[in-house]
Amino acid sequence: MNGHEKEKIIRHYIKSNIFGVAAYGGLLVCIIVFSIVPPFFGESIWTITKLSTLISDVIVMALMSVGAIFVYTLGYMDISIGKQVGLYATLMVIIGNKTGTLLWGILLSLVISLFIGLINGATGEVLKIHPIVSSVVIMMVLGGVSSIMYNNLGSRNISLKTIDYRIFKNPIFMLIVLITELIIITYLFNFTKLGKYAKAIGANPIVAQQSGINLIKYKIICYLIMGLCVVVASIFQMGYTGSASDSTGTGFEMNVMIALILGGMPLSGGMRSKVSYAIIGAFTLSLLNIGLPLIGVKPNQVYIIKAIIFIIVVLITCRKSKGMLPR
Amino acid sequence: MKNEILFEARQMNKTFGATIALKKVDFTLRRGEIRGLVGENGSGKSTIMSIASGMQSASGGEMYYKGKKWSPATMVEAQEGGISMVLQEANTIPHVTVAQNIFAGREHLFKSFGVINMKKMFKAADEILDKFNIKHIRGKDPIDFYSFEERKLIEIVRCVEDKTEILVVDETTTALSLEGRQILYDLIHKMADMNKGVVFISHDMDEILEHCNCLTVLRDGDIIGHLSKEEMNSVGAIKKIRYMMVGREIGEKYYREDYDYSHTGKLALQLQNISFGRIKEFNLSLHKGEIVGIGGLSGCGMHEIGRAIFGVEKLTSGKIIRNNKEILNPLDAINSGIGYISKNRDTEALILNASIQENIVLPSLNDLQKRFFINPKEERKLTEAEIKTLNIKCHSGKQLVSTLSGGNKQKVSFAKWIAKDSDVIIMDCPTRGVDIGVKQAMYSLIEQMKKEGKAILLISEELSELIGMVDRLLIMKNFKVTKEFFRSADLKQTDIIEYMI
Repeated sequence: MNGHEKEKIIRHYIKSNIFGVAAYGGLLVCIIVFSIVPPFFGESIWTITKLSTLISDVIVMALMSVGAIFVYTLGYMDISIGKQVGLYATLMVIIGNKTGTLLWGILLSLVISLFIGLINGATGEVLKIHPIVSSVVIMMVLGGVSSIMYNNLGSRNISLKTIDYRIFKNPIFMLIVLITELIIITYLFNFTKLGKYAKAIGANPIVAQQSGINLIKYKIICYLIMGLCVVVASIFQMGYTGSASDSTGTGFEMNVMIALILGGMPLSGGMRSKVSYAIIGAFTLSLLNIGLPLIGVKPNQVYIIKAIIFIIVVLITCRKSKGMLPR
Repeated sequence: MKNEILFEARQMNKTFGATIALKKVDFTLRRGEIRGLVGENGSGKSTIMSIASGMQSASGGEMYYKGKKWSPATMVEAQEGGISMVLQEANTIPHVTVAQNIFAGREHLFKSFGVINMKKMFKAADEILDKFNIKHIRGKDPIDFYSFEERKLIEIVRCVEDKTEILVVDETTTALSLEGRQILYDLIHKMADMNKGVVFISHDMDEILEHCNCLTVLRDGDIIGHLSKEEMNSVGAIKKIRYMMVGREIGEKYYREDYDYSHTGKLALQLQNISFGRIKEFNLSLHKGEIVGIGGLSGCGMHEIGRAIFGVEKLTSGKIIRNNKEILNPLDAINSGIGYISKNRDTEALILNASIQENIVLPSLNDLQKRFFINPKEERKLTEAEIKTLNIKCHSGKQLVSTLSGGNKQKVSFAKWIAKDSDVIIMDCPTRGVDIGVKQAMYSLIEQMKKEGKAILLISEELSELIGMVDRLLIMKNFKVTKEFFRSADLKQTDIIEYMI
């Protein structure tokens, strides 16, 4: 190998890893800033209470982002997951109050999520439309269903009455579930065909197909995995307060997208996708939520600061290499 | 004036960081010359001319054009000055008309009252196309109507204006059909007759020898030597040029040396009356240990046959049978032991921004996964074995395929199916844009595959390669087989061409 090739390789290495570098750096900067600065304001993030708040703030987003990795790796996204969380939480509360156990609500949610995953995964191949379109349709349908349900209930907010849901408020339990999901997804992503096929499909579906990958089958599996994780996230969303409302889950699909971009995930998916991006992004976002008020940022200014940080990360990660590569 | 110096580069230097792409070369082009520029991939032949045509700037040295100092900042500036370059890669703007492509950046020529007069532009485009004797492409059509080959012609039309003094053709012919090539050859000879200059960069030695009147050989960023027309016509010229390019004897052996077209007689693959698209009732049998070739012009349907066997095309009737099973999609094909090396390497065969390993193991993941687990060690082992067998030049299997040269990329494409241990391999233009060193390696690989009893279908536009390698050659024209030849020492290109055109 001559030096010419070596330089190309180094350039490519930096180019392909700049996403990860920027994202890890972002999380690190957040941790450092929020460790050093809050003590000047008489606060600290390193207390049991604050860390518990952090975990309960991050849990739903992290569970969903990690689950969404497969779909984002395909280069797709799902706009319906916010409404899905709302519907699952509502079903769990209603059925829970009727039967006295959460089990049936969770099972029904799983069945619905499988059905939605099947539709979103298959439409792209069968109808030749971008799956985001079908997810928009599903979002609208679920929004309509939820609106009818709350209308019939005559209330905008419903709570669990007899069921003990304290376990879902326990930060240790949250951590255990999150770590378990993370391990399973990481394993599937890195040590089975599933992750490797998803990356190949996201990078180049023609090559993937000509290498013997059944596109429709693996796209559906990716959506099913996400659906499963969304149900798990819904349990914690519902379980934190033991209630659901007609606004539960609103905007979650955007939060997942923001977390993944902050984490360094390329929106086009493909070979550079990694599970760690989801977890980094979710934690960075939550650290900002918890940390910014501690350093004197007023709650109504948090959005602006988050927007600025988001722009900076996007500018770093989206920069394309300039000039001609040697030919 | 003939022989007057038109362009000169003195001590031209180009570095990319620590890498030297051009080592202080002196290059001269005179009026009336069609100068061939040959060298292996990465020898710097494209670099010289891309600097002259303003695509990139030199790191050192000076250029003179028509006696004056020359330093174009952009390709547009160079083209305005009279130096145009037709690039290797596709370079047309999709979703707009042919005329808009031809006049991109020059739309103001057709402006009246602040609006571009499209009718005028279409007419002007048709006139230019007629001038090049390209009657089947029209200015008002969307460019997406036309194939890759035809778009290349449109690019050529865009580059060459009346004021063009120097035309640089950078490995364009590999992307052209035979008719397209003829149009290009006519053009460069016409330009030479008008005492203009042409620089012709190509891997195809036959066309270089036929059309160039002088030749420059490069190796590792250095000019190794020049050949006059007499030297190019002398006996053993090709061998001499190859030696200059590679820097060592590559040996006599290139194509197969035996003329034995026998095979095991065991059927490996059968196409029974298949019809799809414009192909009607096509039949073909391929046996173990047999190399069957399909030759013809690029639009004759031979590439589609390859795709159909691999299950990519939907058949309207007929069957593709292997081991008594019908093949309906790529997955069936792969599971039955068929491998396919696509003509469109960078878009259909390889994931460019994936590593060598990720590409090679992709079809084999099914076999590598045991009890729901893929061992990374096994992946690495498989990759390293293939890198070694095929001698892929890289620092490790983790290197991205996009950083490899064309020849090495093609080796990765081969490696996918060798790693999968496919028994039937369909190769569509496997040596397109690949330098001789790699070509030689591929030919010996194909020969070895035959000895191992694999069945090979070689689809190619290069007749010399087909004559040199295959046991049985089918020539196609207008989606039908027009003639079948068996391997023979007496088979000549001229015997074949009449069945193609």
